[in-house]
Amino acid sequence: MIITFRRQWEVLPRSLQIILGRLALVVPQMFGVLLVTFFLIRLLPGDPAVLLLGNMATPEAVEQLRDRLGLNDSIWTQFLVYCGNVLHGDLGVSIFTSNPVTVDLMERGPATIELIFYGMILTVVIGVAVAVISVRKPGGTVDIVSRFYGLAAGAIPDFWIGLILIYVFFTLLGWAAAPFGRIDVFLNAPPPVTGFYTIDALLAGDFDAFRSAAGRLVLPVITLAIVNAGGLMKMTQSVFSGVWESDFVRHARACGVPERVIMRAALRNSLPPIITMIGFLVGFLLGAAVLVETIFSWGGLGQYAVQAVMNSDYPALQGFILVAAAFTLLVYLVVDILYELVDPRIKV
Amino acid sequence: MTSFGFALRRPAAIIGLSLLFLQIVLIIFAPAVSPYSPTEADPLASLLPPSSTHWLGTDISGMDILSRIIFATRINLLISITSVALAFVIGVPLGLLVGYYRGFLSGLIMRIFDFVQAFPIFVLGMALVSVMGQEIWNVATVLAVLFIPIFARLIRAEVLSLRERPFVAAARCSGATDVDIMFRHLLPNALMPAMVQVSISIGMAILLTAGLSFIGAGVRMPTPEWGLMVSSGAQQMILGVWWVSLFPGLAIVLAVLCFALLGDVVRDLMDPMKAQQFARDPEIDLQPIGDNR
Repeated sequence: MIITFRRQWEVLPRSLQIILGRLALVVPQMFGVLLVTFFLIRLLPGDPAVLLLGNMATPEAVEQLRDRLGLNDSIWTQFLVYCGNVLHGDLGVSIFTSNPVTVDLMERGPATIELIFYGMILTVVIGVAVAVISVRKPGGTVDIVSRFYGLAAGAIPDFWIGLILIYVFFTLLGWAAAPFGRIDVFLNAPPPVTGFYTIDALLAGDFDAFRSAAGRLVLPVITLAIVNAGGLMKMTQSVFSGVWESDFVRHARACGVPERVIMRAALRNSLPPIITMIGFLVGFLLGAAVLVETIFSWGGLGQYAVQAVMNSDYPALQGFILVAAAFTLLVYLVVDILYELVDPRIKV
Repeated sequence: MTSFGFALRRPAAIIGLSLLFLQIVLIIFAPAVSPYSPTEADPLASLLPPSSTHWLGTDISGMDILSRIIFATRINLLISITSVALAFVIGVPLGLLVGYYRGFLSGLIMRIFDFVQAFPIFVLGMALVSVMGQEIWNVATVLAVLFIPIFARLIRAEVLSLRERPFVAAARCSGATDVDIMFRHLLPNALMPAMVQVSISIGMAILLTAGLSFIGAGVRMPTPEWGLMVSSGAQQMILGVWWVSLFPGLAIVLAVLCFALLGDVVRDLMDPMKAQQFARDPEIDLQPIGDNR
């Protein structure tokens, strides 16, 4: 049985082996994440039923809720019930919005994903471009600027630089769009297809909406990129300079291989660590989005989480961190798979 | 003092050390150097721009921003340094144990670290602080919890490679106990990356503390805290009142920069290869760490 299984495994194509192997690892990770989110709310001092109902609740109401929430069962039964609920997509009901948390999160998710998506693209473009130029022209302007930037970027708080950008580009210069949400209040949001306002507006052929949505994205995306590109840049610099000074690049140049081809080979060779770093970036961006969304009244998951913190809305908070962790794990999964796919030397 | 002299030959080290010195002075002499009380509101002096009476202006309740920035150094550095110290004191022995004894329990601890680190760090910090209650000590504890896996992993990785080295076998043959081997032979040799991480983590802790306060999940008004101060000016920034948020943010940048620079210096000092590059002075002797010379 085991032998036939192994034989079947070995005839699978390499890419499929990588993907299946990684998927098997996600199950225990998700289980751990569920464990942490479940016990996080257990850390609450006092009775969750009282917290949910507020101090004015009658003892009967509290007892009833305790019963309904299953708080009178053993902790492991409660955990199993919680896992079951999550698997059915039931994350409880938000105290503040009184909607199911799942519905709230689904509604706000695309806003955050759109922000992170563009933030990520700009971060990678800035980080990698600056790193490559500074390695190829050591001592040049870009190299010197990159040194200061690399040092400063890690020290700049994202919420602060966002405010400064608003002050300079909206209040003082009037160049940027108002920092109030994803689209002008007088415009209708485009009909949702992908959830990205920019793409949906183009699909609907509504160019006013597109201009407004794209304009609103500029400052928050720049904020995310300024703060996060520094780390990626430093990392790319060190990897790429190692490759750029390596023997095979020197050999290729001695053989008269065109610079453009050498660049491609060198970049491809520095790719694996960069991909890993980009995976970590998603986690950072998700955390940064919480702060950036608050500043720009973005109305995404981050702002929802901040609201939950302010209002002690624990089901909403629990739902958010579960989704945040699941999303991060998903990204790590994709990154790991890509990592192994681009580097043929890795044995599965 | 040779390593101190070595550090002084680098501009980054000079800037880092002076910033650190400045912060220490501000922490000790806060009441003496700040012109006003950090928590006393003056409704008549609300939102005054920087002037000769209020160098950095006043916030919406008329509190002097310079004084608040100075006093906030205490809170911010207290939280950051406490949290990193806690994480170091717990994480380092934990990493040592987990690296040295590789049994079921060690595996379990590593899996717990995996679970904790699956969450984006700011998101988990936010949730933990809001669940535990928004007090200064809770912020420090939460940050410590978030940093413990980082230190434990660094030490574990070093120990895993060191424990196979001949000097460990030699120590064991000469009758050293497990505790001896771990703390006298492995620890001094495994400590370097963790030492560098201390400085980096303090910077991270300053940013996280400020971020948590900014969204209302950290310390509360009227406690002087940099993130809280930035947030108290966020509403007026758009109306052109720039000084309330700008200056506390600059304080954060300088504080984090200081620890980042010091981290670089520590790393270069502890990396013999790098240190030799910088050492032009033959008097500088680079001593190996620990008692296995």
